[in-house]
Amino acid sequence: MRTARLVCAVVLLAACVAGAVSADISLEYAIRAAYLAKFAPFIEWPDSAFATPGAAINICILGSDPFGAALDRAAASVTGGRPLLVRRLASPELASACQILYLANNEAAASLPAGLSERPVVTVSEAGGAGMIAFVVDGNHVRFDIDDDAAQHSGIHISSKLLSLAHAVKHKAAAP
Amino acid sequence: MGIVIGAGLALATGLAPARAQQSASEDLSQLSIEQLANLSITTVSKVAQPLSDAAAPVYVISQDDIAHSGATSIPEMLRLAPNLEVMQTSPSAYTITSRGLNGNSTAQNFPNKLLVLIDGRSVYSPLYSGVYWDMQDVLPENIERIEVVSGPGGTLWGANAVNGVINIVTRKAADTSGGFVELGGGDYAASAALQYGGALDSDLNYRVYAKTFYDRAFDNGSGNAHDGWGKPQGGFRLDWSPGQDMLTLSGDLYSGAQAQAGATNQDISGGNLTAHWSHPLGDGEALQLQVYYDSATRFSAGNGAFTLNTYDVEAQHNFRIGSWNSIVWGIGDRIAQYRITPRIATDSSLLWAPAARTLNLANLFAEDHIPLGSRVELTVGLKLENDPYSGISPMPSGRLSWKVDNNDLVWAAASHAVRSPTPFDTDVVEDLGAIKYLTGNSHFLPEQVTAYELGYRGQLGPDVSASLSLFDDMYDDLRSVELTPITVVPLYWGNKIRGEVYGLEAWASWQATDWWRLSAGFNQQQENMRFAPGAAQVLGTAQVGDDPHHQASLRSTMIFDAVSFDADLRDVGMLANPKVPEYVELNSRLGWKVSPMLDISISGYNLLHARHLEYVTGAQDWIPRSFFIDTKWRF
Repeated sequence: MRTARLVCAVVLLAACVAGAVSADISLEYAIRAAYLAKFAPFIEWPDSAFATPGAAINICILGSDPFGAALDRAAASVTGGRPLLVRRLASPELASACQILYLANNEAAASLPAGLSERPVVTVSEAGGAGMIAFVVDGNHVRFDIDDDAAQHSGIHISSKLLSLAHAVKHKAAAP
Repeated sequence: MGIVIGAGLALATGLAPARAQQSASEDLSQLSIEQLANLSITTVSKVAQPLSDAAAPVYVISQDDIAHSGATSIPEMLRLAPNLEVMQTSPSAYTITSRGLNGNSTAQNFPNKLLVLIDGRSVYSPLYSGVYWDMQDVLPENIERIEVVSGPGGTLWGANAVNGVINIVTRKAADTSGGFVELGGGDYAASAALQYGGALDSDLNYRVYAKTFYDRAFDNGSGNAHDGWGKPQGGFRLDWSPGQDMLTLSGDLYSGAQAQAGATNQDISGGNLTAHWSHPLGDGEALQLQVYYDSATRFSAGNGAFTLNTYDVEAQHNFRIGSWNSIVWGIGDRIAQYRITPRIATDSSLLWAPAARTLNLANLFAEDHIPLGSRVELTVGLKLENDPYSGISPMPSGRLSWKVDNNDLVWAAASHAVRSPTPFDTDVVEDLGAIKYLTGNSHFLPEQVTAYELGYRGQLGPDVSASLSLFDDMYDDLRSVELTPITVVPLYWGNKIRGEVYGLEAWASWQATDWWRLSAGFNQQQENMRFAPGAAQVLGTAQVGDDPHHQASLRSTMIFDAVSFDADLRDVGMLANPKVPEYVELNSRLGWKVSPMLDISISGYNLLHARHLEYVTGAQDWIPRSFFIDTKWRF
């Protein structure tokens, strides 16, 4: 952490301030970090999303990182299946290399390349953002809404178990 | 336009995760998704005041606050806002204002400086600018939040926002799905409600409700005041979200009756239909369109009646210039058509000339948010309002906010707003026997306010949030009573009172333990009013308002697994003229979640004294101690 702070001070990256200044985050964000890691086992990506059968699932953050080390710890604690790797994206062009992409703010969402919605990338945003999964604060709980229509459109299959745990689900309109 | 602020004041914190919950993330890795979803988060910043960037004193009453307080009517819910004065005078009548100027009944000065919106529909009466609180009712279960902004928000919110804006936002139909039945009773009130919500399609949700209640009469100085009342109401909401758009259609219908001492009942009835469409265009740009129709009727046999039909259309567009400058602008028109049959109230000498009119109120506004650096934002706005009597009034506003760090925001604002003349100001004719005693003034000027405000909002520690605002509101052209030269009568309305109200509003919230939250609120104000040169000085400057110099509140909320306990202590300062002594009162509620489907609660109101007086007007009832047992069943 000290090395990270030194690098950030030198390079003055805005994204560093939120994550590196304090190693501890609020419970609200710790819950989000835990969710991001725990979603992975409930999601099936098409084979074309991975280079090799053992390739890691990339959990990416676009925009200033609100999780810091908490997300790395959460990713490390999910075992079985593909390993989870946390990446902080420097630019939105690399978004298509991710399997789960957390959009930290509206600017990040607005900067996504066109056509990303056709790629098997699970976008996660805050409430009101356009992510396939959106975190919502309901009463005093952190929960999530799922847009299953957008997920299926991108070739992603979200397990019905995860859909049943969601706060609200937007289903694909039934074929006549 | 209420629609902008609704979008701008999102409740999710999304900010400032800088304080510690030691090793929180290590513990969470052991939990399943279900367990994560049930964790209670430390929502200090969400409870009373989210760290939003709004450069204004905003207090948000959440659905949680409403549920725990045991409040069943909108005025009782508004008692939770520390920047409002709420005084009850009968089972159905309340005097509500922000920052003073609550009027005086002898001078026929009713609180008339608040803009109140329900889902963007304006509910203050264009006849006299006041609010008929007995005609506004929303099922408490359906309220998402109530935003209370004190001070003039004239630029953006709408007409009449001179002392404040109250914006009541209801929950989306998708959030109230399933069945809901409520049955409650106590020594002064009984109520029942039934609601059902569901989905007609994957993106089409609806809810339908019916509710009714009966409140029995209070006592006043003459014994039983015979002013009990009841009002059945029903309505619906339909939300359709094709793609990114959101279309909402909602409506209500009500018909109630109020008993009146020594007279037949007063009937109040009405209905409304509102359609709202929001269309995001991508890249932070969006379009919103709202249309509504509102009808209201008050009728009392032999004493008078009015019917009012309002048609309103408003459009709003927000977009960005470059990557940082964001602009909102809008245009709207409201047509209010009313007819008053000879007498409007129980006072039999009140007439209106003409008795029917169609008023057209148009407005155009624009507001620009300009970031100056990464932490400072300047907002400049202008509203132009064209009212039927005085032409165009400009209402400029400038606000500056500085996010000192992730946890603290400092803001300053200067704004100007007006209260446009209404038929009560211009058309009223009051006779005393054969003599024409008082008339309106066809040249009545808009009342003016220029407000200077300074505020702070932030998180003082991991579990404490606070907000403080200082204000200095300068008023001009306030309504006064003038004498006709030589003949003295008829008296007529003039604009010869001016002055200022200055003070502070503060609130704070402390999450003391996982299960215990404490909130405190305080406001203090000093009113200095004087007559302008040439004024007849009839009735003195006390006619502007009978307001307490201070109000304080302390609220405790304890939430255990299935049991919750709330206590709400309030202290309202003395009112000077007419005199009402200072009082301290306590509301309390014990709730028990018997099962995921059944909630039972018992509430006690005004527990400290058998009865107390809050304000002197109209019925002047003593407000009694009362209790209420409520059951809610969800299926």
